[in-house]
Amino acid sequence: MRRVAIVGAGMTAFKEHFDLGIKDLIPMAVSEMAASVDKGLDRSDIQAAWFGELTTTDGFPSGILADSCDLLDIPVTRVENACATGNDAVRNATYAVASGAFDVALVVGADKVRESSSRSTFWEWAKLTRDVAWDYPVGLVAPANFALHAARYLHESPATREHLAMVAVKNHKHAVPNPKAQLRYEITIEQVLNAPMVVAPFGLLDCTPQSDGAAALLLVAEDVVDKYTDHPVWVRGVGLGLDRVMHQHKTDLTTFPATVKAAKAAYAMAGIGPEDIDLAEVHDCFSAVELISYEDLGFTERFGAAAYVASGATTVGGARPVNASGGLKAKGHPPGATGVAQCVELFEQLRGEAPNQVERARTALAHNIGGPTAVSAVTVLSNQKG
Amino acid sequence: MSSIRAIGTYLPTWEASGRRVHGADEDALTMAVAAGRALLEGLSADPGAGTGPDGEPVINVVLVTRDLPLLEGGNAAALLAGLGLPDTIPVVEQVGGAPAVLDAIASAVPATLVLAADLEPAGAGAVLVVSDDDATTSRISLLARTTRSLPVNSRGRDGVRWDYDDPRLLLERGAKSALAALELDGPPSVIAGLPAKQATQLSDGQAPTLPTTGASSAIFALAACDGDQVVVAVEQATAAAAAVTGQPVVHRDEGATKPVARSRTTPGPDIGISLPAYDRAFDAKVRWEAGSCDACGNLAMPPRRRCTACGSEDGWSLTPLPRTGEVYSKVDIHVPVPGRATPYSLAIVHLDGTDIRTLVTVTGAPAGTVEIGDRGRLVLRLVDTRAGVPDYGHALLPHLPTESEEVNS
Repeated sequence: MRRVAIVGAGMTAFKEHFDLGIKDLIPMAVSEMAASVDKGLDRSDIQAAWFGELTTTDGFPSGILADSCDLLDIPVTRVENACATGNDAVRNATYAVASGAFDVALVVGADKVRESSSRSTFWEWAKLTRDVAWDYPVGLVAPANFALHAARYLHESPATREHLAMVAVKNHKHAVPNPKAQLRYEITIEQVLNAPMVVAPFGLLDCTPQSDGAAALLLVAEDVVDKYTDHPVWVRGVGLGLDRVMHQHKTDLTTFPATVKAAKAAYAMAGIGPEDIDLAEVHDCFSAVELISYEDLGFTERFGAAAYVASGATTVGGARPVNASGGLKAKGHPPGATGVAQCVELFEQLRGEAPNQVERARTALAHNIGGPTAVSAVTVLSNQKG
Repeated sequence: MSSIRAIGTYLPTWEASGRRVHGADEDALTMAVAAGRALLEGLSADPGAGTGPDGEPVINVVLVTRDLPLLEGGNAAALLAGLGLPDTIPVVEQVGGAPAVLDAIASAVPATLVLAADLEPAGAGAVLVVSDDDATTSRISLLARTTRSLPVNSRGRDGVRWDYDDPRLLLERGAKSALAALELDGPPSVIAGLPAKQATQLSDGQAPTLPTTGASSAIFALAACDGDQVVVAVEQATAAAAAVTGQPVVHRDEGATKPVARSRTTPGPDIGISLPAYDRAFDAKVRWEAGSCDACGNLAMPPRRRCTACGSEDGWSLTPLPRTGEVYSKVDIHVPVPGRATPYSLAIVHLDGTDIRTLVTVTGAPAGTVEIGDRGRLVLRLVDTRAGVPDYGHALLPHLPTESEEVNS
């Protein structure tokens, strides 16, 4: 397989884009990506596209990408893999370029959550990942998916709600310098603990906001990378992992086996281990998910996440900053765009261009989990070709 | 005359203004099932009883209520499934009050299970009528009946309740006139269908206080009998009287009362239903049965085509699941959820003696009070009403162990 590099990355701001439709957000992200290519991009170079979108607001997703960006002469494939959609779109495009089928591939991720009333959104999105006879009618709303894990994790591990709050406080702090982030203000532990309860143990400030947005990457083969940049970011590893879908069938709710499998595959492909990761964008749709993921990604030992976050290791300035962008928690979470936007952030970090720059950033990891907690995608990026 | 094997009763745990009220996840059907299960499980737990789900068969089921969940669409299948009875049994869904229940019991053929349920005040009862033999605990025979019309309270097909609002008229021309028309030898000792004060006034002065006043009150009246007594059941201007001999065995599912939990309902879109999915899940959900792999016997809940243990896809058979378990994880939903009453709790429950865990709603306890490690039993509840369809399933009724149980465990 050929080596694959990211040579361009762009994204819209993540926010409630009531004034923009999905047909606006996609071309905006693609144009920002094109403008980021150091030596310029002739759009006719793009040979194929992968489009990650979890749900659709204006019809047929692949057609909307092709049409809104005037890319009518290339194949476009829609990828949908729950909240792992973004990094799975990256994975699919990576394989296509690595295989030799294409030299230049576009990856776009987008979603428009705030296109229906917040009341409708609740059930429309819940239905995407629930058994219609067994889980949907009991009222297993999205935060409850993850709260079932969090409750058990808090029961078994030394972590407390204060440790969950540390994740939210850290990620809000990280978002402040990020012009693309949705929630650019700092919060305190007390505010998190005293916020209205959403689904115990998650208060309002433990939860991601609802967001709209799009993100785009340009993936090219090592054979042609010099045509686009002298500072590529290499896709060193990709991985996807799955688990039993229904919570009642997961043997241990204190871990996400999907993440463990996805990370194992991505590390193996990259030929590295978790100790080589300098920074990461970790799926933090709810505060506890980031904590549990520290362990599943191998950043710390089992049940070591509370001490790990408390040590400051994952804050910018610490040993391994996590979610320097603000993460899903504060940057925002339009599901299809989320994983692609994580790679946009890491592209900038690994080229030394990020608003909240991490020092000595060489190798980084992006991580999604969803479905609910039944699918994970992990991407390992590096400015070292390896 | 009918012979009574035993009686089952159910009262919901919630209370408001001194009256039992049903939970948002309860209706006449779930309460009737609770009373029926109290009876059948009580009999099967009674050594040598020879009756119950595995003993003497039930060959008829009669449900009497004025609160039938569905007028069209049918309640019988969920009733039989909830009771664990075969779907080959005939079910009478009868609209009626307390006099109709006395009638139904007194005229039932042996092996009939008579159920009655009410929403306000809430409660349900069950009576198993059997052939007269050694297992009979009491006998009932109808003495008199009068059917008169004085609809002070009325409700038509539209479900709208009308109240003429004249309690004195209802007492004088309703209950008192009906009682006079029965021409009994003396005042009865137990009166069903009336508020406690009126029952005392019109009885021999010793009438027990019954928890309900609708159809189920007739069964609570029988359950209150201790010796040879005359029981009268009244509904507005209609009444029936029966002579009861013996003291019936009563199996009660009547938890301690709790003030009704405060909740709010957020309007929102109907969450919709897939009737094919409902149909496929029905027996497992409502009968509380798992799929047992025909090749290796491994259990799956919900049932699934491919066995997780041996990989066989050759088929599975429904097999009853344990109805007790322990909470493995739980969440409390506080955020307003369109179309639902919040807050509510969900729990993943590990069922005793199996590898099965199940995700269920929590019932009979205020949201947020069930904790990991708590124990409870699985009971039939109305999980939701979707597109006009009552979606029944099982919920966790937490059970706080008594001191003696704690010592033993």
